[in-house]
Amino acid sequence: MMATPIDAALNEAPRTARRSRLAAVLAADRKAQFGLLVLSVFLICAILASFIAPFDPNDMQFDMMGGPSWEHPLGTDDLGRDLLSRIIYGTQISLLVGISTVGIALVAGVILGLLAGYFGGWFDTIIMRYIDLQWAFPNFIIAVYLVAVFGPGLFNVIIAISLAFVDDFARIARSMILTIKEEQYVAAARTVGASDARIIGRHILPNALAPIIVTATVSVSYAILGEATLSFLGLGVTSDTPTWGLILADGRSFISRAWWIGVFPGLAIMLTVLSINFLGDALRDALDVRETREG
Amino acid sequence: MSRYLLRRFLGAVVVMWAVATLVFFMLRVVPGDPIAAMLADVGGAEEIAALRAKLGLDQPVYVQYAKWFWNLLQGDLGASIYGSRVEVSRIIAEALPRTLSLAALSAVIAIVIAVPAGIIAATHKNTLADNAVSFTAFLGLSMPDFWLAIMLIIVFAANLKWMPAIGYVAMDESFWLWLKHLILPAIAVGTGFSAIIARMIRSSMLEVLSADYMRVAASKGLTNRMLLLGHALPNALIPVVTVMGIALALLMAGAVVVENVFAIKGLGRVLIVGILNRDYPVVQGAVLVVSAIFIVSNLLVDLLYVVIDPRIRYE
Amino acid sequence: MNDKSRNPTDPAHIAEELHDAFDFDHQDPMVGLSHHDLSGMRLTRRSTLRLLAASGMLSAYHLIPGTGAVRPAAAASGGTLRAGWAGVGEIITLDPAQINQVLQFQIMSNVISGLTHINADLIAEPDVAESWEVSADGKEYTFKLRKGVTFHNGDAFTADDVLFTYNRSKDPQQSIHGRVLKNVVDAMKLDDHTVKFVLGAPQASFLVKTTERASGRALSLVSRGALKSMGASQYGLTPVGTGPFRVTEHKLGQGVVLEKNPDYFDPGRPKLDKVIIKPIDGAEPIAGAIEAGDVQFVGGNPIPAQLIDRFASNPDLVINEKPGPGFQSVWLNPWHEAMKVTDFNKPLAALKKDKGFMVRLAIAKGLDRERFVKQARFGRGVPAYGSINPAMGYYYDKSLSETSEQAFDLDAARKLMADAGYPGGKGFPELELICTPGTKRDAEVVANIFKTNLGIKVNVVPKEFSVGIVDFNTNNYDMRLGGSGGDYDPDDGLVDWMQTASKFNGPKRDKVKHPFGYFSEAEADALIVKQSATADPAMRKALVRQANKINSDKVTCAFLYHPVDVQVRHKSVNFPDESRIPGLADLDRVTVS
Repeated sequence: MMATPIDAALNEAPRTARRSRLAAVLAADRKAQFGLLVLSVFLICAILASFIAPFDPNDMQFDMMGGPSWEHPLGTDDLGRDLLSRIIYGTQISLLVGISTVGIALVAGVILGLLAGYFGGWFDTIIMRYIDLQWAFPNFIIAVYLVAVFGPGLFNVIIAISLAFVDDFARIARSMILTIKEEQYVAAARTVGASDARIIGRHILPNALAPIIVTATVSVSYAILGEATLSFLGLGVTSDTPTWGLILADGRSFISRAWWIGVFPGLAIMLTVLSINFLGDALRDALDVRETREG
Repeated sequence: MSRYLLRRFLGAVVVMWAVATLVFFMLRVVPGDPIAAMLADVGGAEEIAALRAKLGLDQPVYVQYAKWFWNLLQGDLGASIYGSRVEVSRIIAEALPRTLSLAALSAVIAIVIAVPAGIIAATHKNTLADNAVSFTAFLGLSMPDFWLAIMLIIVFAANLKWMPAIGYVAMDESFWLWLKHLILPAIAVGTGFSAIIARMIRSSMLEVLSADYMRVAASKGLTNRMLLLGHALPNALIPVVTVMGIALALLMAGAVVVENVFAIKGLGRVLIVGILNRDYPVVQGAVLVVSAIFIVSNLLVDLLYVVIDPRIRYE
Repeated sequence: MNDKSRNPTDPAHIAEELHDAFDFDHQDPMVGLSHHDLSGMRLTRRSTLRLLAASGMLSAYHLIPGTGAVRPAAAASGGTLRAGWAGVGEIITLDPAQINQVLQFQIMSNVISGLTHINADLIAEPDVAESWEVSADGKEYTFKLRKGVTFHNGDAFTADDVLFTYNRSKDPQQSIHGRVLKNVVDAMKLDDHTVKFVLGAPQASFLVKTTERASGRALSLVSRGALKSMGASQYGLTPVGTGPFRVTEHKLGQGVVLEKNPDYFDPGRPKLDKVIIKPIDGAEPIAGAIEAGDVQFVGGNPIPAQLIDRFASNPDLVINEKPGPGFQSVWLNPWHEAMKVTDFNKPLAALKKDKGFMVRLAIAKGLDRERFVKQARFGRGVPAYGSINPAMGYYYDKSLSETSEQAFDLDAARKLMADAGYPGGKGFPELELICTPGTKRDAEVVANIFKTNLGIKVNVVPKEFSVGIVDFNTNNYDMRLGGSGGDYDPDDGLVDWMQTASKFNGPKRDKVKHPFGYFSEAEADALIVKQSATADPAMRKALVRQANKINSDKVTCAFLYHPVDVQVRHKSVNFPDESRIPGLADLDRVTVS
């Protein structure tokens, strides 16, 4: 998994200026607009799937392996299910996994990192050791291992993938804290008598936000790819709702006869991840001082 | 400096032990009875019990662990619990070169594509070339590697028949065959990686190009090309070195899936199959080896950093 | 060479041969054959069939030749055959003492010899034995071994090697096939090239199974020299035998390389110089490999059904389809509240008043097997109503598809569900259908059929075999998709699966909470025990069919289908008739043009 440069410069500009820069970047960057558009469409698909999808994704009534047609714009799969409906429903799990895993990892990782950095001492040592431990292993294999060992299923997949990202967030949060701890305004706040919690909440957290947000967006795209890969290996979600990786895995043997089974789910994954990457790039431009200096 | 090395080395050993121990216990705590599955068609309850005793799987977990650890210290990684009970060290010794080959070739492909692309993008900033490179990089990052693998197989192996669809041939047998078998998988794995490197080179080149010392060099009358290759590039490569450590993670993760699609029996596949079959000794051995590779490469990267950038010092 | 003129595809002829094979006096331990019939340099086809029948190893499967064009064996020899071994990631062992998978002994049969070997004509012919004599009481077999046979490592083959193999196989520490030799009381060397076996009682299967090189495995002759020098572990990878091919290379996970044994006792065989066998896991890799020409022949596990049509329409490939010996079912846990049956012994009419049984029967009746075969197996397969499969020719009851209580009847099924209190499936709990990752697709089709036909919701839960089997053994499941393969004799189906004491019938369950596993019926039990001991074929057939009908009517499980067995090869591979032995992949007469 990609580690954001830990030494990302701090943004000392007040928040309002940052926000307007974000808006400016978004207005100018066409790629980011494209990404936003695509993600919005997928989000709507996910929420309103039962209204938008033309058929029940598990209905096996139709011709097996029919090509794209008026009735089935993306064709049907090997068991006679409408591919368009399956892909629309696929947005649900993909987005759910992408967002929830990163959400969990972010909260857990940031809390761990904050605690480690702020309090130091043996707290810090333990957490750092854990981060090192996780670093000693390719994250993806950890996820595979956990799911293979504890069984497939949505919950296990989410936990397994979340675990893979915790160390990234913890590491960032911790180094942010360590850098900021020395900053002036923390010392100032303390002389005024602010409590630890207040210092963390009011001063430290907002400034550490930038690299965390950027890491989060990158992680979401990896989470979605990770879920697709796990499903492809047969270790993914098992519910009725199809996921794109699962559609690819199930249809693997038939792709040579029915190219649509292979192309469309893959495209869906790619579009989603692409959009997130575009957005992430724009966010990085807006929030990261170093890159904006180059213009 | 050497104290630092020693500390890192010891730390590495401890981490490896911790990982292996965790895996050892977790694997046994989990549902799934490999012995019953192995003898499902042939044996009855007595055969199952006999085999279990023979493999030492009927003893309490901590006894098994102690035994395993003792053997480990003597260099014995145990043997697979299936079939002819091949030694784990042998299984890994046969699988490792394949994965390393794949990773190496992927890395080479990635670098060969990414470095020139990154340089072009940086030196032609905001032109069509730059945007094209950027966009392609995004595409490469966003594509699931197993999907790319399948598409490659369909186009190049099944339809055009330029390369074989599956398998692996060792390099010492035939370089050309080795290459033919490995090129599609390497492309599948290397694509995502090359995207990352290209973007990294671009941004780091941009930073370097605008730095002060570049202007100094230019004023000395060096040609553009010499400037580029002699000064800018080496400095731009420094952050890339950091990525190398993570590269191994990406490459191994990618290799697992791609090995699956191309039926290459490399380390990733050995691990996955071992986990699915609950082949405890194989999983433990593979975990240790993967961990070791990881830790060693991270250590090397850190050391390389010291060598490259004289500003960094550890104590 | 086939010296008999016969029309192999004529069903009347097959029926006739079957009838003759089973036509013996069950009280005759020699099954109607004289010891002269049994002795000599080979057995006639008729004798071999009779022995196979009496040992419970004869099925229509063996007699039905496959479909697919066969070219006469070309004269050209030499060349390399590239073969893919389907469905497996690695060929774990080739040591006959440890082999437990068909795909393993397919390879082993090319490397290691036995005393006898059954050829494609179902004639037991000498392998490394030259001829044999059977005593008048049928208890003593004296084999004359060929002279001048050498192992691949140069060691001479003598009677000592036979005894060595015999003793090794009898030792449970060294071999898992000791049971096959239970009836052999003594084995002795008479001279360097003569061996005598003494049996406890006349045994029909001695020549066709015990001494046979592939099916028995107890007397597949191993080299003691090689075992000593390389150790059992390495021997399992690169076994040394006296067969037509020797193993020159075995890289785990990358395959086995066989090369011609220049000192094979038959100078005309093998024809090929080299065979490269690669294990290929997964449907798509197999398809990719054979279509791209990477491999020319596929052995090992049966290829996935969805590939069959694809290969059939490919002009470069030849496929060979046979009815498969096995069955697959949807097992229903009788201890689940909604499907609960605590006593199967009641007469059927009374059972049908049990709500739990009504549900069970409804599920079995609502299972549209034809649709399943069409959607999940692409039309390749036979709907099943019992564990007796069509490959068991003689015993198979085709009429069950109409007479069984399980026969598909949508209206009746729906009525049963309604009578049980779940009209249209309303109020019926969600069930979990356990399957393996490999059978997930089949399970999805089954679940969909249940949903469409009965309105009940079934969730497919793929679990690795080693995990799912534990659930099955401990009675901890709702539904499970599973079954059996390699069933040539009614015992394989009935004894192993349908009895209360069957080894698969909930062996690890909580015996207090669950008095039985998935099924227990006294009358069926009695019938099954009786048929196993019945030698008179006609009587046995009647008993088998009776037992099978009970299993079917009382829903031991919802029987699903009988799989087919398909092999595929490139058209340039000449696979002569004589080599097409059921279940094996003997390559000694194969040539590549």
